[in-house]
Amino acid sequence: MFSKYFYCIFVLSCIFSSASIVAQDCNVTIQGRVIDEASQLPLSYVNVYLQESSQGVATDDEGRFLFNNICIGHYHIIFSHIGCEDYKLHIDLEKDTVIDVTLLHTETSLSTVVIQGHKDNVGTQPNLTVNRKKIEDSNNQNLSGLIENETGVHLIKNGSGISKPVVQGLYGNRLTILNNGVPQSGQQWGNDHSPEIDPFAADNITILKGASAIEYSGGNLGSVILVEPKRITREPHLHGQVNYSFESNGRGSNLNVRLEKFSSKLAWRLNGTLRKYGDRRSSDYYLNNTGLEEANLSLQLEKSWNDKLFVDFYASTFNNKLGILRGAHVANLMDLEQAFQQTVPFYTESDFSYGIDAPKQHVSHQLAKLKAKYYSSEKSVIELVLAGQLNSRQEFDIRRSGRSDIPALSLSQTTFNADLTYSKEFADNWSMKLGNQNIFTDNTNDPETGILPLIPDYFSFESGFFITLSKKINRTQFKSGFRYDYENQKAVTITNSVPKEIVRYDNQFQNVSGLFAIEVNVTDQQTLSFNTGLSMRNPEVNELYSNGLHQGVSGIEEGDVQLKSESAIKNTLEYKWLPSSSFSFNALVYHQYFNDYIYLSPQEEIRLTIRGAFPVFKYEQTNASIYGLDISTQFTLSNSLIGQLKYSYLRGDDLQNNMPLVFMPPNSLFGSVTYRTHGSMEISPRVTLDELEVEFNNRYVFQQSHILPEQDFVAPPAAYNLLGMKVSTNVFFPSYKFRVFVKADNILNVKYRDYLNRQRYFADDIGVSYTFGLNLKF
Amino acid sequence: MTKNFLTLTVFLFFSMVFIACEKDDPIIPNEEELITTVNYTLSPANGGNDIVLSFVDLDGDGGSDPIITGGTLAANQLYTGRLDLLNEAESPAESITEEIVEEDEDHQFFFESTVNGMSISYTDQDANGNPVGLNTSIMTGGAATGSIKVILKHEPNKNADGVSDGDDTNAGGETDIQVIFPIDVQ
Repeated sequence: MFSKYFYCIFVLSCIFSSASIVAQDCNVTIQGRVIDEASQLPLSYVNVYLQESSQGVATDDEGRFLFNNICIGHYHIIFSHIGCEDYKLHIDLEKDTVIDVTLLHTETSLSTVVIQGHKDNVGTQPNLTVNRKKIEDSNNQNLSGLIENETGVHLIKNGSGISKPVVQGLYGNRLTILNNGVPQSGQQWGNDHSPEIDPFAADNITILKGASAIEYSGGNLGSVILVEPKRITREPHLHGQVNYSFESNGRGSNLNVRLEKFSSKLAWRLNGTLRKYGDRRSSDYYLNNTGLEEANLSLQLEKSWNDKLFVDFYASTFNNKLGILRGAHVANLMDLEQAFQQTVPFYTESDFSYGIDAPKQHVSHQLAKLKAKYYSSEKSVIELVLAGQLNSRQEFDIRRSGRSDIPALSLSQTTFNADLTYSKEFADNWSMKLGNQNIFTDNTNDPETGILPLIPDYFSFESGFFITLSKKINRTQFKSGFRYDYENQKAVTITNSVPKEIVRYDNQFQNVSGLFAIEVNVTDQQTLSFNTGLSMRNPEVNELYSNGLHQGVSGIEEGDVQLKSESAIKNTLEYKWLPSSSFSFNALVYHQYFNDYIYLSPQEEIRLTIRGAFPVFKYEQTNASIYGLDISTQFTLSNSLIGQLKYSYLRGDDLQNNMPLVFMPPNSLFGSVTYRTHGSMEISPRVTLDELEVEFNNRYVFQQSHILPEQDFVAPPAAYNLLGMKVSTNVFFPSYKFRVFVKADNILNVKYRDYLNRQRYFADDIGVSYTFGLNLKF
Repeated sequence: MTKNFLTLTVFLFFSMVFIACEKDDPIIPNEEELITTVNYTLSPANGGNDIVLSFVDLDGDGGSDPIITGGTLAANQLYTGRLDLLNEAESPAESITEEIVEEDEDHQFFFESTVNGMSISYTDQDANGNPVGLNTSIMTGGAATGSIKVILKHEPNKNADGVSDGDDTNAGGETDIQVIFPIDVQ
């Protein structure tokens, strides 16, 4: 669990040197040394495990290890260090061998480089990373859940199954998610839509919190989430892993299988995930119809020619079906008010069920991507990405006369991407990157619904060009960039007049973005980075043409065809301090000013319909500001006891109307204490435990008090505190090893509701939950 | 190198432009579920002309205001009430009442009157012996003005406290109809 704050890279590993002694068949030695890249000091307590002979040793105070009397043959050596992902090395042992490994072992939030591969580093942008180990150790979570405890990150939820990330107050159309380097397409506009990504297919989830991520398309106004698999390990044998977990709350099972094999002809990786959950339970009652079924599969292929041309292909399919709390399905304002009066939601039943009935969602997302990367020289790379996505979403409501089986919303969206980037390093530490990205989107409603679509059919074509330049002078690194985007939207709307008419719109938008960033290593232990950026985002189709009742929101939403692009200036200042390996501190302040911020404004009009009165919301523009502070610190209390604290503060204001912005994340404080054992514990002659970790964590979420009573139907829920615990360990058997974890969330079974969870109007959030997980690598 | 890059860029850009032609006209969905019209026909028990209270909103949730027709009833008179729901956006108009009759266990009308001395009671039942409300009887009191609110709930809990007596507080369910008719009793 603690591992999430770390990432480790083993670089430059292995300088094989050989003694010239001709060894006997079983008289070979393997020895070496592990060194910390940052400090150049030896690393002790690194576990070195020789898989084929089932021998394990730990490095000594000087970082050294030694295996004696090993037979000639093929071996896999696994290096594992607390909090790090395992590093596996394959050797063909013929003689005495020396292996030197350099291990970069740094606290993530203090790092400036995101590991994306050979030369792609994001640099000078505040960022956070979640690594594979965290993904495996939280394998009952969806993508959003994995990043929930990171500073500056919150979740908008609709019940337990649907969640989307909010980074520094921005979400939906304002936050870009790149899955495998491709902007995730889908219906970003809905707060009741999760990103359709299987986190198990990823090895790294990175959150960029800089002023402007110039290199990424998608109308982002600052933050970007990158979800990426790592390259297939250069390892000639078939390897894989199996992850399984069972969660008590919802009686849910998660199964993930990953297989991979490298060959110079073609390297491949296959990743499959299955999930099934039934009704979740709050502290007091079942949340009926909150089950989930999911089946995902991905295939990754890699091939390279002469270390110059690298081609990879990635295809994935994501399919899920999820239920929405039955008692959260209401029609008009009066229903909503009646629902607020209930201590237990309507339709609550005393029995658990795996059944998923209307209201529910069926979502599928297919992605196919081809990437070619060509190193024309050591210092220049050209990269081409072609991708296609197919997103299909069906939402089912409770309807009359058997129509519950007909979706009330049925959208399919096809997207094509074509990206080209060129990067070059020049002399004097100058580097440049330029690129062009094109996205074509075709969004179509299926008329089978028998309901006028909320979002019209449309085509959109986007093309963006960017250039970034960076230079390093001694302790200072500069980066600046410029981006231009063109978007053409062709929307075909249906009016709800009598008779109905088809109205076409053709819009063209041009946006420019600019960035300047500077990072100074003030001392060896302190880094200061400043980031300033201007970005623009044109109104999306939902903001322009929404028209009608948004089911589940109990409101009539109306777009405004007159909306202009919004623009934002964001400044961030980050300070990182790493005085010793036992203490680190990181503070990030940010301020973002929006001109013409597009938002849903509640109108004075209450519209009378045959179903009663509905509040009307219109997309309007105002000037707004969002500012906040993210702090995280980590301290080693003793060699085996480590503490962590994270605090996020955020405030959003509508400057023109002089009132708070709605739906802004409340402040939160997260703390954890982890106890780790060093070395291994022998349970029996054949079974050994190591890297045993016991973690207690606590998350306190403040009440959102920066909001006026008339801005919501009910007051924001009270502050809450959730206590969690987790025990994890590696278990070694003679010929294999696996990892086990047991965790408990909301141990005290606290009854609470979260401000950003729309289900809070109807029901409590989920109560205590125990998860047991197993990870086996082979 | 840079030249190749530019050529490729231009190629990509134009290949995308050519894809972006016009989007086909969408098929306008057939909103067969829509309820545009509620007619509440009140027939005096001792003969005389029917009074029809109506609420018509042809554009559904759209912007035009609904047309509401109230009625004038005689004092101290018994009426039988019959509700008819129509989808007049279709032609010929489609009866939604039939769908309600087919699924009467999942539907219930609720009536709230602010007219002094008026009482409304159910005169029909579903298969489980619970009220539906398509048929009612209305007894007026003395001269008064006020309104009758008619609510149709889909999937209410008819067994919850007070629901079969016409109180929707514990009913749950979605509101399919909620209309108010102005009433004058003379």
